[in-house]
Amino acid sequence: MRKLAWTAAAVLMLGACSQPNGAGEESADADGAPEAADAAAGGDAEKQAAAGPVRPPLDPFPSTYEPYPGETVLLSGATVLTGTGERIENGAVLLEGGKIAAVGPLAAITVPEGTATVNASGKWITPGVIDIHSHLGDYPSPSNASTSDGNEIVSPNTAHVWAEHSVWPQDAGFTRALAGGVTSLQILPGSANLFGGRSVILKNVPSRTAQGMKFPGAPYGLKMACGENPKRVYGDRGGPGTRMGNMAGYRAAWIEAAAYKKKWEDYWTKYEKWSENDKDDKGDAPEAPARDLKLETLAGALSGDITVNMHCYRADEMVQVLDLAKEFGYKVRTFHHAIEAYKIADYLAENNVCAAVWADWWGFKLEAFDTVGENAALVHAQPGGCAIIHSDDAIGIQHLNQEAAKAMADGRRAGIEIEPEDAIAWITSNPAEAMGIIDETGTLETGKMADVVLWNGNPFSVYARAEKVYIDGALMYDRSDPARSPRVDFEIGLHDNDFTGGAGQ
Amino acid sequence: MSGTTMKNAAMKSFVALAAGASALLSVAAAQTVAIMDGRVHTVSGGVIEEGDVIIRDGRIVEVGADLTAPAGASVINAAGKVVTPGLFGAFSSIGLVEIGAVEDANDAGPGEGFPLGAALNVIDAYNPQSVVIPVNRAGGVTRALSAPSAGETLFAGKAAVIDLSGRVNSVTRADAAQVVVMGESGAQREGGTRMGAWAVLREYLDEARSYAANPNDYVRRPHSGRFMLSDLKALGPVVAGEQPLVVAVNSANDIRALIRLKNTYRLNVVIVGGAEAWRVARELAEAQIPVITSGMDNLPNNFESIDATLKNAARLNQAGVKISFYDGAHNIRLVRQHAGNAVAEGLPYEAALKALTINPAEMFGVGAQLGTLDAGKIADVVIWDGDPLEVTSKPEAVFINGRPQDLDNRQQMLMERYRDLSRGDLPHAYRGAQ
Repeated sequence: MRKLAWTAAAVLMLGACSQPNGAGEESADADGAPEAADAAAGGDAEKQAAAGPVRPPLDPFPSTYEPYPGETVLLSGATVLTGTGERIENGAVLLEGGKIAAVGPLAAITVPEGTATVNASGKWITPGVIDIHSHLGDYPSPSNASTSDGNEIVSPNTAHVWAEHSVWPQDAGFTRALAGGVTSLQILPGSANLFGGRSVILKNVPSRTAQGMKFPGAPYGLKMACGENPKRVYGDRGGPGTRMGNMAGYRAAWIEAAAYKKKWEDYWTKYEKWSENDKDDKGDAPEAPARDLKLETLAGALSGDITVNMHCYRADEMVQVLDLAKEFGYKVRTFHHAIEAYKIADYLAENNVCAAVWADWWGFKLEAFDTVGENAALVHAQPGGCAIIHSDDAIGIQHLNQEAAKAMADGRRAGIEIEPEDAIAWITSNPAEAMGIIDETGTLETGKMADVVLWNGNPFSVYARAEKVYIDGALMYDRSDPARSPRVDFEIGLHDNDFTGGAGQ
Repeated sequence: MSGTTMKNAAMKSFVALAAGASALLSVAAAQTVAIMDGRVHTVSGGVIEEGDVIIRDGRIVEVGADLTAPAGASVINAAGKVVTPGLFGAFSSIGLVEIGAVEDANDAGPGEGFPLGAALNVIDAYNPQSVVIPVNRAGGVTRALSAPSAGETLFAGKAAVIDLSGRVNSVTRADAAQVVVMGESGAQREGGTRMGAWAVLREYLDEARSYAANPNDYVRRPHSGRFMLSDLKALGPVVAGEQPLVVAVNSANDIRALIRLKNTYRLNVVIVGGAEAWRVARELAEAQIPVITSGMDNLPNNFESIDATLKNAARLNQAGVKISFYDGAHNIRLVRQHAGNAVAEGLPYEAALKALTINPAEMFGVGAQLGTLDAGKIADVVIWDGDPLEVTSKPEAVFINGRPQDLDNRQQMLMERYRDLSRGDLPHAYRGAQ
């Protein structure tokens, strides 16, 4: 129980921003906040160095992920859940060039010559599973003081830390999640602090480096936390020690961040004016303000480039936070661990905020006391409601399909109409939307990344296993082929030099 | 037996609190129920398609096909439903923990500096009014081992088998087991090394034997004061080999050490955890040590569970080891998800059902009364709306001691209160739960 409580304490919240192509290329001069001020690539920053002041790069730790090669393959004869609410019986999905080339009834698909065919009759196909709330890599296996890198518990505001800097790519948890069909996931800092830091979105493809797993172009997230955790951790360390202290802490930080953002905007305005002045004696260039990593992240959240993920259990607190967001003009994209979302499902839908929830975790702390199994279903049932099933757990992430199944079944028993083609969105398209990667993945639609799971049966059954998992069209996991089951370094040779571990272990 | 005394004392203290609920429930007592035409998993003798289960005065009186419902029986048409024995949570802290992180709602185990271990008895803290009970009852759990968590000593104390009726007298068997933590948890408590933990454990057992052999003589002799007398006293039934000793242990190596200990001291041992037990499956079967494990834990999360695998249960069962599953307290109801996943990884279906019913009943000495659908047994019966191992299934009716159970619970009441979010004539605080 203690362990569970701690796991839960490590929960974060995440808010995603559904901008088209990640924060990267397009937000540049829109608001002048440093992280939004420049293109992602270091090369651009270098170019600018010659021309003028160096704008802080948007992503100094750029993704080096490249899809692995995959053959053109037709998965044929399956029940296909597209993630867009559609269900196709006897359907087929064509993967070509790393993308989804076609989805539909077999007859409607033109199959290129030389295409490999997988007979998926009696099987099910879904988009790759996406977990909006994970700590894999930051709290890896093995779990001990040497590896515990998920929660910078030193100050209520650690917006300056970036989860990717703790990601250990040799966490066996990634491989187990892969065997559960997980193709993308968001790694969040822990929830001890009001502002926990930046998240990172990964593709679940093993790599030697965190950069090698980074989802190209995905927006950053900011993790914030409500309620019991910050006040418990800081109550005798200078505060906050109360929920009102939590709110005061957020507000003070946003005030500072807004001033910082304006300072940089003013600077760029002055700089543009100065640089456009073609007089010979235009004088010294205006002096750039000093960078502050903490405020850069917060200013990015204010400008909408960084999606806000708020760990918040209680209904009344979530509504306080919605008002807080209005006060400072930012958007909360997702409430995480929203145990009481069902009590304010109408507010959440009106404000276009997702609720990321567990199917049935409860009772590990008082703010987790009011769990109901119908939580996701009641959020989903609101017009415009956005329900997400998340894990926050290295075991839970392996069967998000089962967690969604439980939540769906409880909702149906309560008379809410939910079909598998609806509920699959809770672990695919809805988290993709909330994380700002819906244009690339999260559904089976032509042109998207070929992130696809072939299940040996109905994924809403406890007996279903992911049989094949494709990421960008590459077969990264095959349940029947040990050569397609990744094993991290830590697992190798541990017992009598046996080759232990691996996805699907 | 001291356990009986404790039990009675505990019951008295519950009477005032639970009198109201008890009076209501007794109305349902002493009735005859005929569950007809369900798919009946007897667990002891296979499946009866369109089978019937007749319950009278708290017991199963007949199980078969084409039975006739006794006159006056309440008849339940279970056509299209699945009937099983009630599920048995083999290891939990139910009734001890209301809310994990709230001190006054958590009696799972002692905090820092508390000297006693083996002497602690869950009966002194077990709360049949716990809100955790109806939630798990609605999930088909009818019995559980309520076990203490270890504080600073290796021994956690005495566990009890309880039923999930929530009634005052819901203790099935007090003193059902003693609990001890070994492996890394044990090492942390005794010198930071497994050598320390095993040495201290042996010393406890030696002292307990010595005490049990001649208590009067023992108390007269000088002692280091290292062991509390009440702990040694409590270990009497353990060293006599009568009371199961539940040992929390995970690594294959620790399990081998445990088998040696069991053989030396002739103990009745049950393993909880057992992440790497499959590596020692043959030896465990030979030593007749059952394993209560997870059906979903497969991570090398620490150095004693490097070989954790989803196939643990299937491999143990294959080797002839008696298995069961566990999942904390609040969600004992998830044991069937563990079992379902184990089935997906190769555990035969019938073995999975046994793991959730008769196996834990046998581990804790109540196998003759519970765990299967057989005439003469206590009527813990669940009627499911589908395959009980399937995550989408739920109980439609639950019987404990032959009594139909209320499946309402706090979670359902909250859901009903907030189904309609419209403002209404009065606030939500006036709705539902009247």
